[in-house]
Amino acid sequence: MFKIFSSLRKEFLLLINDKTGLALLFLMPLLLVFIITIIQDSAYKMVNENQIALLVVNKDAGKEGGKLVNTLKKSGLFKIDSQDQIEQSALKKELLARGKLIALFIPPTFSAGLESNAQDVSNILMQDLGLESDSTTREKVDMPRLAFYHDPVLQENYSQSVMGIIQSYMGMIENSLMIDRMYASMDLGNKSEVLKEKMISNRVKIDPIVASNNNSTVLPNSTQHNVPAWTIFAMFFMVVSLGSNIVKERINGSFLRLKTMPTTFMLVMFSKMAIYVMVAVLQVALTFSMGIWILPRLGLPQLTVPENLIALLAVTFVSSMAAVSYALMIGAFARTEQQANGFGAISIIIFGAIGGILVPTFVMPAFMQTASNFSPLHWCLEGFYVLFLKGGSWRELGLVFSFLGIFILICQLATYFKLRIERIL
Amino acid sequence: MEDISAPVCIQIRHVSKKYKSAQENSLTDVSLNIVRSDVFGLLGPNGAGKTTLISILCGIIPPSEGEAAFIIDGKVLSPIERKSRIGFVPQEYAFYQELTPRQNLDYFGAMYNIPKNELLERREYLLNVLGLSKSADDKVETFSGGMKRRVNLAIGIIHKPDILFLDEPTVGVDVQSRNAIIRYLQSINEAGTTIIYTSHHMSEAEEFCKNIALIDHGKVIAEGDIQDLKTQHNVPNLQSLFINLTGEAYRD
Repeated sequence: MFKIFSSLRKEFLLLINDKTGLALLFLMPLLLVFIITIIQDSAYKMVNENQIALLVVNKDAGKEGGKLVNTLKKSGLFKIDSQDQIEQSALKKELLARGKLIALFIPPTFSAGLESNAQDVSNILMQDLGLESDSTTREKVDMPRLAFYHDPVLQENYSQSVMGIIQSYMGMIENSLMIDRMYASMDLGNKSEVLKEKMISNRVKIDPIVASNNNSTVLPNSTQHNVPAWTIFAMFFMVVSLGSNIVKERINGSFLRLKTMPTTFMLVMFSKMAIYVMVAVLQVALTFSMGIWILPRLGLPQLTVPENLIALLAVTFVSSMAAVSYALMIGAFARTEQQANGFGAISIIIFGAIGGILVPTFVMPAFMQTASNFSPLHWCLEGFYVLFLKGGSWRELGLVFSFLGIFILICQLATYFKLRIERIL
Repeated sequence: MEDISAPVCIQIRHVSKKYKSAQENSLTDVSLNIVRSDVFGLLGPNGAGKTTLISILCGIIPPSEGEAAFIIDGKVLSPIERKSRIGFVPQEYAFYQELTPRQNLDYFGAMYNIPKNELLERREYLLNVLGLSKSADDKVETFSGGMKRRVNLAIGIIHKPDILFLDEPTVGVDVQSRNAIIRYLQSINEAGTTIIYTSHHMSEAEEFCKNIALIDHGKVIAEGDIQDLKTQHNVPNLQSLFINLTGEAYRD
């Protein structure tokens, strides 16, 4: 027991004496989570919330303009900012000043123009049917024009899509108005509702089908992505501290000296693994605490801890073991500390990029999404996604654990055989 | 266990070693007897095979052929027993320079299964006797070469070994540190510790060792009492003997 305690104590002392390593292990993830979450938050909001910020100026004297605004609001597609006091001449300037990308101007004659047009259509129909049309003399008002303002930074297809949506709602309003006019001309009173329901609401529906690799429709927010992502990145970055620590001991002869002593080398490796798994668990505790308590104070989404705490512990432990095993392997194969630090750090950045740490895999092209399966960091991140977005489903975690288990086994075996070749084991 | 008559402490029989990547043997048919409480010098030029022989005796690498038996109190030690009874001081600073001498001795002492209280006592004794007490809580990386050598030695003898292997224990140190190290080694030898020692300092070896084996190209070319060898080869000192037997040519 004293031997195990001494071995753990030695690893702990080596760790706390490595100030650069400690900074990389604990300060780096906090800074990365803090900075990247702030940077990416607006991008995630655009992807996740699907609400288009729209400045609306409704100058309509009638009620149809209000109907259009309400329809746009109810659609859930737009985040409407109604500013009816703004004059059309000042709208361009206001749009830029308010940081909005698109604006809709509804003219004062909007309702009058629509009603006039509906009356014309009704009259034509009555005449064609040989019925008496409404002879009441009404002022002829031209068909109104909506003004759609958009920032030139927006892609044309985006602007066209938004106009298409508005046009679609306009069609509903116009049709409703025409049906009302025709029924009124035929003195059918309020019986138009059935026809309106049939014509406007009962249309061909389009079923959206997800075509992503994992069929998941749930996407993480910036906190749910960045907190685990950069924690995993930092966990794997222990390769710089642990990897070079092993190289140093190999080169300076400490390992060989231990071979002349009545102890097992497995104790040395066990102590290293135990201390660095604890480091990884501390990293998770630290960055998750930041996600829970500090990020919300900055107006960022709060990290909600999954209910399945056992799954959270399991994912944390398996991810830690993957990071530790990788660091051991690099330490066993590198010939110098520089090699361990250089190759270790670069390989983690590449694994991170492929694995969706830097940029989430769901925005990557299909072939890169396939390539991400070869990154251990991707599977660690998948594990945390399962916790945050799917409630920690054990069935889905099974795949994550299987891949990481194979990765851990490969790294441990490679380390074992390399140290055997060097006669350290 | 086989009972072998004292005072032989280490019996090396026909030991050869060929590394996989090497074309020639590093050691060829080496046979030596080292007696108990001897200070035995393994001498030879660079690449002669001294470190390979020490590595085999310490169990770091296995021999390709032959065997070495360790006999203490008439009993041949098993490989496990051997590890508890030998001490090894390698040429490199094989310890943790980021730690203090106390922390290093605590760790390596625990690896020798020394009980905690005994370890603390032994640690303080060695720090004191090797002149490291004042710097015992400073990181070793801040030490001079001589101090590091003394830390290296302290680790090798923390468990009071019966047999001590020293691979160039005084290389790169000043006269004061060298004298301190040699004096201490002489004192533990007088107390019964068998010492097997390699060095390039012929005058130091002549002063320190009783018996030597001269190794060149992996073979023992001379062995025995230093005085006898000098008389036999009619040379005034060990350095002349060394040059006579190994030649003046550079070695890689």
